[in-house]
Amino acid sequence: MDLVIIITACLVAVTSSIIGCFLILRKMAMVGDAISHSVLPGIVIAFMLGGTLGSWYLLLGAAAFGILTTFLIEFFNKRGGMQHDATIGVVFTSLFALGIILVTVYARDVDIDQDCVLYGELDHVAFEEGKNIFGLLIPYTILRLSVMLLCVLALVVFGYRGLFLTTFDPAYAATIGISVMAWHYILMAAVSLSTVLSFGSVGAILVVAFLITPPATAYLLSDKLKQMILLSLVFGVSGSVVGYYFAAAIDGATSAAIASVLGAQFIVVFAFKAVQKKYFSAPNIPVV
Amino acid sequence: MKNLRNSFLLTLVLALFFACGGSGRQSTSKIYIVTTTGMIADAVKNIADTLFEVEALMGPGVDPHLYKAKQSDTKKLLAADVVFYNGVHLEGKMAESLESLAKTKAVFAVADGISESRLISTSQFSGTHDPHIWFDVTLWIDVVKYVNLKLQEKYPEHKAHFQQNTVKYLNQLVQFNTWVAEEVNKIPDSVRVLVTAHDAFGYFGRVYGMKVEGLQGISTVSEPGLKDITALVEHISSSKVKSIFMESSVSARFINAVVEGCKQKGHNLKLGGTLYSDAMGAAGTEEGTYIGMIRHNVNTIVVGLK
Repeated sequence: MDLVIIITACLVAVTSSIIGCFLILRKMAMVGDAISHSVLPGIVIAFMLGGTLGSWYLLLGAAAFGILTTFLIEFFNKRGGMQHDATIGVVFTSLFALGIILVTVYARDVDIDQDCVLYGELDHVAFEEGKNIFGLLIPYTILRLSVMLLCVLALVVFGYRGLFLTTFDPAYAATIGISVMAWHYILMAAVSLSTVLSFGSVGAILVVAFLITPPATAYLLSDKLKQMILLSLVFGVSGSVVGYYFAAAIDGATSAAIASVLGAQFIVVFAFKAVQKKYFSAPNIPVV
Repeated sequence: MKNLRNSFLLTLVLALFFACGGSGRQSTSKIYIVTTTGMIADAVKNIADTLFEVEALMGPGVDPHLYKAKQSDTKKLLAADVVFYNGVHLEGKMAESLESLAKTKAVFAVADGISESRLISTSQFSGTHDPHIWFDVTLWIDVVKYVNLKLQEKYPEHKAHFQQNTVKYLNQLVQFNTWVAEEVNKIPDSVRVLVTAHDAFGYFGRVYGMKVEGLQGISTVSEPGLKDITALVEHISSSKVKSIFMESSVSARFINAVVEGCKQKGHNLKLGGTLYSDAMGAAGTEEGTYIGMIRHNVNTIVVGLK
């Protein structure tokens, strides 16, 4: 049981941390949180069309609205010349509000919201019957998340140059013929699909935490993209392992414990850097 | 890259430190039954008495709509010999996990023991039902029969024991049902209106002939709108309903808003006390059993409205 849960957490940690590095560098860290809310109208509409609370249907609606969210954010950002944080705020509150209205008007009598139909519980992967692969019983959630991870890895490995250039120097990227918009939308589509899929397996708070905290901690330690990605993987994976046993020790919710450990990592590294800066560096004296 | 190595070391140390923890249930030789709500645990206890170890995941005062799983809950479910849950979407997304658990062990939704025609359909959408089945004692009788059936199938060696206990308990429930109906009948027709925080009492109202008004919908997640509160205040003031009731697992804020609103309209609405809605009272007290819980509710309602 322990191993299955930890592996699930690690798969989401790795996927989210990789994507999160690009989000942070593009100053779009909160896009994951935005998606966690703005999928509500998608869920309600899918329910109204399908009429059941079966999850595949609703997942599709959620994914559609996840992608719509990122497209709207970019649209207002480009056309309105607004900052990303402002457009993220506008888009996700409006869509979430639309979802609430749909619930109160059309589905008042139904227990429907992201908590009930979309957000999964990390621990519950332990209940799943596995698929037999080479004599090992592997739960479907782990298979799904592995495929997701492979897709994200493929995107980052084969699209590294495009993602790298459009993240750090969009103007230069444009002059050498790389489509900044195309790469942005490819990244955003990856964000929406992977977050919605991960919500279903481990719940919202953990996905958002994995997207932002390990990359942010890594950002404190490194200014090279590859190193930052590697470091964020280390923080994400170690946070999952430590968080799991932390939850076991205090008998709490596993996903919340992992998210807290990720936060603690950030604080420790932050303090470490602050102390280092104060006592071990002398920025005003030129180094010979 | 030195940072990398340091992080690995730190992780190892911390992981070792925490690995010493861990908890689960104390292992006993008894057959172990896990249920989601306390009401179901109570039904199982009445059928199996001390033969089995029975445990509910959602303790007293826990709102099942907002229940968050602890790690030990996962371990309990994995360790359980049989799992009973409510079904009809009371447990939300968790039901999906329980359904996948059902492939490898005995897991049953007690609502399956009730024929679908007796469930209250909610809204215009098909296939969704009000999950608060325990408030109609006649439905709960079906639930008890279903649990008994499933236990007998699983443990035929205890068949006679279960049957004997079930018959005894069903007799109690039938008598209890008559008592509830008589008590509710003591409330004058014109004020036989039950106003509470959320729509948990639909079955209760239907079988015992009470009009039920809830502020929130079935789910306790969406908050009541201003229009809901105003409409309810208007309705209560004009029909002279005497009391409004709190619920053990739902916030009192909105109920207080309604009382305040009625006061401004010149109608002195009393707080009729707290009802048990989605969870039972503390273990060991009278309200910690199914019958005690419903009895408390009925007494509170009758005193408040008569």
